Amino acid sequence: MTTMPSGDPDADDDAGIVPGESRTSAHAWNRKVHYYLGLYLLVFLWFFSISGLVLNHSSWEVAQFWRHREEATTQHAIRIPEVTGDVAMAMDLMRQLGIVGEPGEIKRSADTQRFEIQVVKPGHVYRVVARMDSARAAVTEIQINAWGVMDALHKFTGVSREDRERTRDWVLTSIWSLAMDALAAGMVALVGTGLYLWYRLKAKRVAGIIALTLGIACCMFFLFGLGILLA
Amino acid sequence: MPRAFYRWTRDLHLYVGLCASPFVLVYAASAILLNHAYPSPTARSLIFPRIVAIRVSDSDDGMSVARQVREQVGVRGEIGYVNRKPQGHTLSFPIETPGRLTSVKVDLAAGTATLMEQPTGLADATIYLHKMPGPHNVKIRGNWVFTRLWSWLADGTVYAILFLSVSGVYLWVVIRAARRYGLLFLGAGALSFAAIVIAIVA
Repeated sequence: MTTMPSGDPDADDDAGIVPGESRTSAHAWNRKVHYYLGLYLLVFLWFFSISGLVLNHSSWEVAQFWRHREEATTQHAIRIPEVTGDVAMAMDLMRQLGIVGEPGEIKRSADTQRFEIQVVKPGHVYRVVARMDSARAAVTEIQINAWGVMDALHKFTGVSREDRERTRDWVLTSIWSLAMDALAAGMVALVGTGLYLWYRLKAKRVAGIIALTLGIACCMFFLFGLGILLA
Repeated sequence: MPRAFYRWTRDLHLYVGLCASPFVLVYAASAILLNHAYPSPTARSLIFPRIVAIRVSDSDDGMSVARQVREQVGVRGEIGYVNRKPQGHTLSFPIETPGRLTSVKVDLAAGTATLMEQPTGLADATIYLHKMPGPHNVKIRGNWVFTRLWSWLADGTVYAILFLSVSGVYLWVVIRAARRYGLLFLGAGALSFAAIVIAIVA
């Protein structure tokens, strides 16, 4: 695989680069960013690609993780939280019960005696039903397998489009969310540097324009063309 | 032979990358929007109802009724889910396309369908495409030809990305001068991924 005559097999392709421009520092930097950023993001990219593929094929056996979940309910004595806000109460109860993760849906009964929280930590879902009148809490812990963890991480943002008041309350949710943003920004950078590197190869321009136009046309059709077609 | 293989791989990496790059941008932009809870359309825009007379043959299969209604009201798109109570005379379902959502409420006894159409915009269109076909409503998913087409393109994008990353690793390995720093970046990426995932899951 590595029996190339020179260290850089692209070195003899300078003839294809735009006339008047040798390997400039801009070219060299673009190349480096393209290689090294791609390598840095490789594992993240594989993770989101494979988990995305499984999400789109829920009939696959590996996507049946929910059917294979393990569920157990335990009872606990609790100290009534002194705080009043929903999130603050949820955090207090989680601390008492030794639960870590991102608190999601929180419900409180009209008489305020029943308090329910769902906490998600990829691989685990905790459903807590606390009774303030009896100072007891039932904790149902649901465990899912590695494919379930992948599924959960793919969507683990800690926020919801439908419930805009939900915020990220766990530091690791914020870190994961930042990683997702960084991956998205990194992909944009990879596309940008890739376009630059291609554009400098004069010999590859025509075929490249055809390939790029095909991709743009498909995306534009779905983003705009369908709307025009159906109007 | 190795040189020919290298050139083929490099050219394929280039052309597959160029073709896949608009799809990658759509997924990257929508990932950022989803990650920051870009508001769903129901929370953002006004809806103007439109009532249409319909004549459909009733059936226990809500999807069959929804398909007939979709045909008669002249709205094209993917039926999201069908909400119908057992033996009920009313049902509701959304018809979605990238950039438009139509909520349909059907009164079978009165023979009417009330349509609430709303444009959802470009940002929502990218989010819609990001989530299609997705894990939900598997039994009815792909009831519109363009959803099926997009699901093939979505799969194709993943396979293209996997090819690009594997071929990219090969192209990097061949350049001796870039190996040391490349290994450092690859290792740093793998390590940071593992560290975050282990911290979250453990």
